[in-house]
Amino acid sequence: MEGKPLKASAKSSSHHGSGRSSLQDIRNMWTTATLSQPKLNVQLPTVREDSELEDVSVSGKTLWSYDQKAGHDAEGGWEASDGGEDKDSFKPEEPEELELGGDSSQGSRLEEDDSKTDNEKPSSVSSLNISRHTPHRAYWVEQQSRLPLPLTELMENEALEILTEALRSSSTLKIQSFPN
Amino acid sequence: MVARVFGLKGSIMKLKQGSFLWYLYLDKLYCLLSVRNVKALVEYFHLLDVHHKKTLNDVLFYHFLHHVTDLTRNQITVVFNMLDWNTVGEIGFDQFYMLVCILLAQENHLEEQFIFRHSRPVFELLDLDGELKIGPDHLHMYNFLFNIKKQQLRDLYYNFDITGDRLLNYKEFKLFTIFSMDKYQESQKAEKEKKKEKAVLKKKLSQVNESQRESLLGIQPFESISNYNC
Repeated sequence: MEGKPLKASAKSSSHHGSGRSSLQDIRNMWTTATLSQPKLNVQLPTVREDSELEDVSVSGKTLWSYDQKAGHDAEGGWEASDGGEDKDSFKPEEPEELELGGDSSQGSRLEEDDSKTDNEKPSSVSSLNISRHTPHRAYWVEQQSRLPLPLTELMENEALEILTEALRSSSTLKIQSFPN
Repeated sequence: MVARVFGLKGSIMKLKQGSFLWYLYLDKLYCLLSVRNVKALVEYFHLLDVHHKKTLNDVLFYHFLHHVTDLTRNQITVVFNMLDWNTVGEIGFDQFYMLVCILLAQENHLEEQFIFRHSRPVFELLDLDGELKIGPDHLHMYNFLFNIKKQQLRDLYYNFDITGDRLLNYKEFKLFTIFSMDKYQESQKAEKEKKKEKAVLKKKLSQVNESQRESLLGIQPFESISNYNC
């Protein structure tokens, strides 16, 4: 199992304050995430070809802003780093760090992308533009295996409550059976 | 009688609103979870599997159901005994997944569809004795899970007990599921038609009201002028 995502406590606290609306947002996020899958499956082959070209021409990490049309709109936009076609170079913790890091770092990295792409060939620029609006395959494969953060937190909290209750009941049973 | 003794007769099970299972959903056609939902459920199961045995013992199972549903202790015990088909005293993920599907089917009012789509596993669950036949007691015992109403039970044993032994084999049970599914679809269609008729009536009424208002507004200024003249 992959490493557990960092708990975005700052953002989760805002979710708790909203009450029912946050619960509905979670459901919408959950459902739209599955609805978005067929569309992305169609786009993946072209993205992969373009990304291979980009890996040759563009050095270092590049960030893609995630298009909301793809259906992932949790906090206003996910971001991921593209470590090439290898999944090993793609670290699972990076999306959360980027989310918590704020917009300034993301904006500066996007500006770096823009400066690099200006020097490239037109075909790679066009492919870059296309791939900017479509998620990278490695990123999407990674995202597919993960739950939305609020749902993960809910799941963990609920499991913790159940286990706590089970432990209490077993301890009371022990006390009753061995009163001394 | 058995159901009353065990305190099993009562209201239908409800999932706790806002619980993790409440956010999962069944595919309405096949009454199964999607791959994403199953993955989430696997993670949830691993969290509950404190002893790392890939199973839940009776204590964990009881507290899980007690936390996420409004089932009583006796009902939970019945469910546990139903799912522990290997009589190991523990529930594996297969049984857990089956249970979640049943709970979600009831929560989303898809009982008939679920039983129709998965008649074989449901039959095997209800066949506690392993005789490949189901008696009325079995079905009534699990009424809180599958929501089979009294009238349906009577129809079941009156119309589908072809062999006449007051027990249902799998084929008879399958016929029953097909029949109940047809009835369910007919009732759905009837409800839709009723809704359409209501909507049409509302529109007509609103149109009539508007026309009446317009006509009243049209008459009033004319009448005031005529009165003034007189």
